[in-house]
Amino acid sequence: MVECDVRMTTVDGIHAMPALRAVGITKVFEDGFKALEDVSLAVEPGEFVTLLGPSGCGKTTLLKTVAGFYQPTEGRIEINGTDVTAAPPERRDTAMCFQSYALFPHLSVADNIDFGPRQNRVPKDERLARLTALLRQVDLEAHRTKLPNKLSGGQQQRVALARALALRPSIVLFDEPLSNLDAKLRDQVRREIRSLQREFGFTAVYVTHDQAEALAMSDQVVVMRAGRIDQVGAPEDVYNRPNTAFVADFIGAANLVPFERSGNGHITTPLGTLRSAEAPPDNATFLCWRPEDAELGFSAGENLIRGEVSERAFQGSYTELHVRAGGASDQRLHLAVGAPAQGERIAFRLPPEKIRFVRGELS
Amino acid sequence: MTAGRALFILALLTPGLGLILVMIGSIFYVAIAQSFGYYNLAGESAFSLEHWAEVTGSKQFGRALGYSAYIAVVSAVGSVLLAYPLAIWLRRPFRGSLAIGALLKAPLFVPGLVASFLFLNVIAYHGILNQSFMWLGLTDEPIRMQNDRGAWGVIFLQLWKNMPLALLLLTGAVQSISDEVLDAARDMGAGQFDRFRKVIAPLTVSAMQASLIIIFIGAAGDFAFQVTAGPTNVQSMAQYMVFLKDSFGRWNQAAVVGVSLMGLALAGSLALAAAARFVLRSGRW
Repeated sequence: MVECDVRMTTVDGIHAMPALRAVGITKVFEDGFKALEDVSLAVEPGEFVTLLGPSGCGKTTLLKTVAGFYQPTEGRIEINGTDVTAAPPERRDTAMCFQSYALFPHLSVADNIDFGPRQNRVPKDERLARLTALLRQVDLEAHRTKLPNKLSGGQQQRVALARALALRPSIVLFDEPLSNLDAKLRDQVRREIRSLQREFGFTAVYVTHDQAEALAMSDQVVVMRAGRIDQVGAPEDVYNRPNTAFVADFIGAANLVPFERSGNGHITTPLGTLRSAEAPPDNATFLCWRPEDAELGFSAGENLIRGEVSERAFQGSYTELHVRAGGASDQRLHLAVGAPAQGERIAFRLPPEKIRFVRGELS
Repeated sequence: MTAGRALFILALLTPGLGLILVMIGSIFYVAIAQSFGYYNLAGESAFSLEHWAEVTGSKQFGRALGYSAYIAVVSAVGSVLLAYPLAIWLRRPFRGSLAIGALLKAPLFVPGLVASFLFLNVIAYHGILNQSFMWLGLTDEPIRMQNDRGAWGVIFLQLWKNMPLALLLLTGAVQSISDEVLDAARDMGAGQFDRFRKVIAPLTVSAMQASLIIIFIGAAGDFAFQVTAGPTNVQSMAQYMVFLKDSFGRWNQAAVVGVSLMGLALAGSLALAAAARFVLRSGRW
């Protein structure tokens, strides 16, 4: 087992059951492609967990395996303590929000939302109550009789969300639900999803390749690469304390520099000799620092790095500099104010406590 | 739009649309006019309702109309019912699916009359089927299957010939439904039949209607299957029309049957298409 993050919450001394537990999931497709390899994961009730990774890392495969659309080659899926590995999607206590929304084009907004409860023979009064409440919550009361093709992308996404919630599932699965929306709408729907999740208290498993989305929405972020889990943790932990070079590079921007231990708490790098607050672990391969951690305005002292600005890009709230220093590749700096001009020689300091060590390779 | 532009567009449309309108229009005109006594090839040409009265008053006409309607409805509905599971099965490619699809559509390329004779070879008194039954010990003597009174032979041939057409139309429609929509229905608790009933069928209703209309019209006007494999105690409309024309040259009465057949094709196919849309869109089934 590569990563096993089975966490149990203790409530009054009793071990609560995870809402979702995936144990040793391996998925090999018919063409021999191994999409998941020995993936284990536990999600607490009411938690918002994001599966984050680049295209092809297996995050959607894992989500669809949890939903029941894919049968794992090995391993098992438990929902609220019940083994559902062999159960079809229609028998699982999950509901999915699809990337394309997947609304039924021939049904009105109201009929789309009512599809699940009607299918599950929920009494008519209860169905009507759910429909009315959901239409109000997603602000679509005025559009209840419209067909999906008469709605905007954001409205369609809200219908998809309401349709999933109408089933009152214990777990809602989101497959890159915001990827078809523009940036502004994405931010709005993102906040709406999170607000509804808090209000309804459902467990959410959310797939995205957008690290900003993952950091902003999640209680826990699961970073995946090549069918495996690289790191699981709270957004702050994953960002500030990445385990691997891949996580450091994928979540936000990071400068990764090879190093050698030189004793006395110092390390030798192409940037020069540096001191870190923590000792490098035995399996560490790179030191890592974030572009916003560099401090300008020093001319002498420890961890001082001198270089020349090779590129300068204004990004709105900050300016990104690429600085050629020592024998290392260009180092990235994010400066909120007072960014030097291209070609200018600068000196910046890396605070020892901001230097982290990561293992693994970059790819 | 200016008058010049309108004329230009009309001029562009004339070679295609004009030909169609002239061809179809002239047939309609001659058939209708002849049914009312005009273009009489064996007597005086004048307006008359006599031919309509004679034909519609005959028992044979009523039986032919009912029989053709029955064959057309069963063929159209049966072909669509048989084609749907195959279209869903062939929705996503798999190893051999192309070959299976091609094989299933092969009857489209076999002329109806050829198919009828092949069928007769199989079901004839001394045909392959009877010989096989006897060889297997299932029967002691051959069974008479040819020209059966229930018209099962004709229905079999109609389904064999028309199912591929329905499959062709439905496969495209079924393939256009995204996986995610079907997955969503499944996720909402819909089993296999409910996914078909509530998602696939309503979303493919246009293709289904096209299949029903085309097959209904073809089957209602069937002549070849009826004369070779059909029952001898009843005639199809087309067969009755030819019979009237051939017996003492009753062209005007044959035209009445022809016009009635066109009416049956139009009314029946529209009714079938409307019924399909109503049932599927309402979700009450």
